[in-house]
Amino acid sequence: MTPTPHLLATRSLSARYGDFQALFSVDFRIAAGEVVALIGANGAGKSTFLRALMGLLPVGRDMVLFEDQPVGGNPPHHMVQLGVAMVPEGRRLFAGMSVEDNLKVAIDHARKTGDKTWTLERIYRLFPILQEKRNAQVEKLSGGQQQMVAIGRALLAQPRLLLCDEISLGLAPKVIREIYEVLPEIARTGTSIVLVEQDVMLAQRASNRLYCMLEGHITLESTSSEVTRADIAQAYFGAGHEVA
Amino acid sequence: MKWLDALIQGVLLGGMYAQYALGMALMFGVMRIVNIAHGDLVVLLALIGITLSVAVGLGPLPLVLVLVPLAALIGWGLQKFVLNKVVGADSLPSLIATFGLSIALQNLMLEIWSADTRSMSGGGIEAASVNVGGIYIGLLPVLILIAATLLTGGLDLTMRRTRFGRALRAAAADTEAAAMTGVNPRVVYAYATAIAVGILGLSGVFFALRATVSPADGPAQLIYAFEAVIIGGMGSIWGGFVGSMVLGIAQAIGFRIDPGFGTLAGHLVFLTVLATRPQGLMSKG
Repeated sequence: MTPTPHLLATRSLSARYGDFQALFSVDFRIAAGEVVALIGANGAGKSTFLRALMGLLPVGRDMVLFEDQPVGGNPPHHMVQLGVAMVPEGRRLFAGMSVEDNLKVAIDHARKTGDKTWTLERIYRLFPILQEKRNAQVEKLSGGQQQMVAIGRALLAQPRLLLCDEISLGLAPKVIREIYEVLPEIARTGTSIVLVEQDVMLAQRASNRLYCMLEGHITLESTSSEVTRADIAQAYFGAGHEVA
Repeated sequence: MKWLDALIQGVLLGGMYAQYALGMALMFGVMRIVNIAHGDLVVLLALIGITLSVAVGLGPLPLVLVLVPLAALIGWGLQKFVLNKVVGADSLPSLIATFGLSIALQNLMLEIWSADTRSMSGGGIEAASVNVGGIYIGLLPVLILIAATLLTGGLDLTMRRTRFGRALRAAAADTEAAAMTGVNPRVVYAYATAIAVGILGLSGVFFALRATVSPADGPAQLIYAFEAVIIGGMGSIWGGFVGSMVLGIAQAIGFRIDPGFGTLAGHLVFLTVLATRPQGLMSKG
């Protein structure tokens, strides 16, 4: 039997918004239990890439492989059943609903196969403030608390692959630390994590491997502990950029 | 006594409007889909009901059992084949699509049933009333009010407590976020519209028992449902019920002041609410 080397991989993934091509032939892979960071400037295509993986953008069938099966272009609710969940940029909570109802939507529609690793109680242990605020409407919460709901909602889908889009954006440093402290616990359950992050240092520290994107292309792929600042600067800003 | 009578008749009239408002509260208030054909669907179902009662001799109760599933099926198809193609942040496409449907339905009904007004015989229930301390209370309006109250309570609980209700609220709040949480918004919306229109199957029978029906009556039913939902507050299921009561009572009191003033009184109350509390009476905002 041949082992499955990657939980998810993309092969020459290209995607466009109308006439604008946002992703060019992206080759990406992530193994089970791995934390992979995706860095890059604003508009580099990081969010577009996650949206393509989640099934929110039309892409070719063979461009996305989940356990070697072609799944590109599957609708999002199918991707959830395979084991992909997303913490979207800007949190995108269900306004007008309580914290607990937001989380229950994920429980109701979680992946049906496999163990129920994440329970409401476990999310409340991870983020005790959410238990306290469970009956509050989500729009009454602080930004950090909302981010916790968004992460809890994604985890309750029982993902094997968690896509995190800019989870530190707009939060206070103390809150960012609190949120990043839970990532190792998530990875320990065997869940793979793709971390899209603006803060390069944070991304490097929290990940096993990292990719850098520039204008829809992958410009760097490396083990996080080995990559140098100069490599990152070159990949981040493009060839010919002088490192000061 | 005259005003107490007006109040009671107003509440009973409000019960009639509440049935139309309920589906509207779900579609317009929660899903933000403007269904202009709402009133025409009531008329269509009422006319089908009248024809069945004459041709097959079905009584009101068996008719409800036939018309509610038929109405739910119409609603499901309407959402799946028409409205799901145009749902989004903008409510204008759904408005235009259902406006077209409304005109098509009215003409179709004219073609089939002609412009004659018809009514349904309910074996005496439509005229039965009880005398409570000098005030005559119609049995049918009381039945309608009870049905509307139970349906509103049931739908409100469904929205707040069930998997389906949470999925629908989530999809209405952020369709894409709901999809990435595992909800299939198109299926949830199709079921929701099936419920909204399914309720009209019951309304159609009550409408045909209570009043005369002709193919052009739809828009008048539509406007009351819209007004009730806006008076009560968008997004609130009980809001549509409360709005219907406000409209019914305003009209009944208006009629006592001057027979020509009743309908106008309802519209004036609507405009007053819109001017002073545009978020609606039941809205938390």
